[in-house]
Amino acid sequence: METPRPTSQSDFLVNKKRIRVFGLSFDDAIKIFFGGNAVVSIIVLALITYFLFQEGIGFFGQNHRNLLTYRQAGLEYVDFIRTQESGHIALTRYLSDLRLRQYNHYIAEQKMSPAAANEALAKFDEFAAQYGDAVEPIRGMVSDLTEQATAIKTKFLIAEDKKTERQQLLVAGKIDEAAAVKIEAVDFAAELHLLTGILPVYKQTSAEFAKKLDAALAVAPKLSTPELMVRLDRFNQLTHDYLATFPATARSLETWDYTRAVPWYQAISAFLFGREWLTASFWQDWYGIVPLLMGSVMVSLVALVIAVPLGVGAAIYINQIASAQEQRIIKPSIEFISAFPSVVLGFFGIAVLGQSLRWLSQQSWLAWVPGFPFSERLNILTAGCLLALIAVPTIFTLAEDALQNVPKAFKEASFALGATRLQTIIKIVVPASLSGIISAVLLGLGRVIGETMVVLLCAGNRIAIPDFTAGLAVVTQPVHTMTGIIAQEMGEVVRGSIHYRALFVVGIVLFFLSLGINFIAQKIVRKYRISIG
Amino acid sequence: MDIKSPFTTPASGRSIPVTPAPVGPTLIDIDHVDFFYGASQALHDINLKIEEKKVTAFIGPSGCGKSTLLRCLNRMNDLIDGTRVANGQIKIRGIDIYDRSVDVIELRKRVGMVFQKSNPFPKSIYENITYGLRLQGRSSKSDLDAVVEKSLRGAALWDEVKDRLHTSGLGLSGGQQQRLCIARAIAVEPEVILMDEPCSALDPIATVKVEELIQELRTKFTIVIVTHNMQQAARCSDKTAFFYMGKLIEFADTRAIFMNPANAQTEAYVSGRFG
Ligand SMILES: Nc1ncnc2c1ncn2[C@@H]1O[C@H](COP(=O)(O)OP(=O)(O)O)[C@@H](O)[C@H]1O
Ligand SMILES: [Mg+2]
Repeated sequence: METPRPTSQSDFLVNKKRIRVFGLSFDDAIKIFFGGNAVVSIIVLALITYFLFQEGIGFFGQNHRNLLTYRQAGLEYVDFIRTQESGHIALTRYLSDLRLRQYNHYIAEQKMSPAAANEALAKFDEFAAQYGDAVEPIRGMVSDLTEQATAIKTKFLIAEDKKTERQQLLVAGKIDEAAAVKIEAVDFAAELHLLTGILPVYKQTSAEFAKKLDAALAVAPKLSTPELMVRLDRFNQLTHDYLATFPATARSLETWDYTRAVPWYQAISAFLFGREWLTASFWQDWYGIVPLLMGSVMVSLVALVIAVPLGVGAAIYINQIASAQEQRIIKPSIEFISAFPSVVLGFFGIAVLGQSLRWLSQQSWLAWVPGFPFSERLNILTAGCLLALIAVPTIFTLAEDALQNVPKAFKEASFALGATRLQTIIKIVVPASLSGIISAVLLGLGRVIGETMVVLLCAGNRIAIPDFTAGLAVVTQPVHTMTGIIAQEMGEVVRGSIHYRALFVVGIVLFFLSLGINFIAQKIVRKYRISIG
Repeated sequence: MDIKSPFTTPASGRSIPVTPAPVGPTLIDIDHVDFFYGASQALHDINLKIEEKKVTAFIGPSGCGKSTLLRCLNRMNDLIDGTRVANGQIKIRGIDIYDRSVDVIELRKRVGMVFQKSNPFPKSIYENITYGLRLQGRSSKSDLDAVVEKSLRGAALWDEVKDRLHTSGLGLSGGQQQRLCIARAIAVEPEVILMDEPCSALDPIATVKVEELIQELRTKFTIVIVTHNMQQAARCSDKTAFFYMGKLIEFADTRAIFMNPANAQTEAYVSGRFG
């Protein structure tokens, strides 16, 4: 039957031709399509965050156990003495540096032959040997203790493994087999007794050690220049400072107690402020992010120091000074840089840039540059230069946008008051676009701090906090970075292990760092929109 | 509109006496000027003498070249690629300002400009006014303070902003912003002030204020004002030039242009029949 057509007067408003699928009009479908895309991206972001946390968060529990084992198995105890030993190593290094300087002086200034120079240094060598040998008893002690503590730790870890094994069997319902798993519980008190029992011997050895060092200092020969003598005095001072730390070490050993709990926050602080990232070590693993963070920060800083003047300068030139012809050539060229795959840049860094920089550093006319000459061709500087190349297009493009947004009326007003082009740029255009430029720089920073391939290939991958006492020369040291370590180690670690989770936490830190940088950049841009009006 | 009484301000009902001025000394001599934007000619053989300490108004329909001619007077057109004065000369006090020996920077200090859309810098009121002075290397605080007050008083803005000199110039109302721009222009003590439709973006009350200001400024400066608004030209100016399609059609005393135009096109335009 045909439905009766509605006849009311208002009916003409209804468009009868509108197509509906599942009761949805075309407009609705468009709305759902785009809205859906937005929702999907938000969900993906949320999932990534969730996944990162889910994998990473377990790290802190594991790290807490890791630190607890360190204490209970007596490794901490041994490390007190080991610290004392490494203090001595640092001092002997100072001494060999001193010898080298004296030797060079003999060769270069006094024109001695190498043999004669060594001859003249015989007294010094005697002193150095006496100083160096003094540590032997302590060293022997440390190596004995290391063995013992390692044995306790291994025993404990085996017991832990067995426990998990039994647990798994129980879960699987194999009760008999589970009962058959033998667990040798570790009696820490008894085991550690062997360790702590050496305290009286240690005290005596340590006192003798101190005496020997004093005796060695007494026979230190004179050196041939005032400058070297100043260094020798400094060495005396350092040794005395070192000796002054002995009582503290003894006290640490006396008061040490393996039953003392490790506070929960140490699992976090040991990660955030830990100065060592040491994995798969026979002794103790450390997951401290500081060396990696420092590496990332240093490389990014060097990159910015190079890229900001280049990028902002190019943006100012292109936007304010260049002719249309120059704009047509330069702008796409700079933007083209970002088309390079970063792994190709990495090749370039290893094969060309690192090599050339090292060659350059070894030229005698450049010897005055801090850090020159250097021998590591992969270092902060090499990686920073390449990252700068990656940051320049970002900074250039965004800074140019910011400059473009400065109303032409400001410039005209400035010119009409008798300003030159340069004055107008410096006093009007740049200040008016400053927040836009700053956020361009921040986004460039976000770009480089997340960059992986280039730093993995070119930063040198040495996990150590850069030695800032070197001054500007610090940039010639190799480092490892947060992104680099994840890329390098993620493939090798056992899923669910503490190492695996530690890498995820590094990822989380990276994620929040980038998020923070982007957030600040956006805040600044918004403020800048308002201030221009 | 009532063409017969163009000298009465509709807003205030005041009469501004315009005495038929005696011909004063010429300050700017525009001598047979042709002007091109690239290949297209915007001005044809303009011939005009602007007298010192007078207000000269440029009127004419949109696109007839008023702004172009105005911007020739301080060489602002130099900033646009491909522009050139092809023939003729523009002389200020007898000096050809397009001569190679002329310092454009110096020229622009002597010939100030106020734009159609107020454009204070995104800086404080104080910094806006001292900008031109600082460019000239003047930096003594007492000197700058004095000029700021003098210029703001000169632009009839002092009382309104004296308590907030260090707040942003962009926080002012549209009319105040335009007067700030005028204050900024007079701070460097130019001889000539060029105004390109200074009131076109303002409401009637702000417009009246700027017009009153122009009346005060005429005693000290030579003013050239482009306007779309014929009453404004009639109220404010001593001389009026009517342009059409890049040509100067008629140039005479304002009273003559409005009461008794010599040219039929002028007559048609001022009586509102086209434009
Ligand atoms: N920057 C420019 N480039 C090319 N042509 C322009 C430019 N500015 C103005 N013109 C042209 O010059 C003529 C005069 O313009 P203009 O002086 O702005 O007129 P008015 O101010 O009288 O309205 C118009 O035809 C306009 O299209
Ligand atoms: Mg105009």
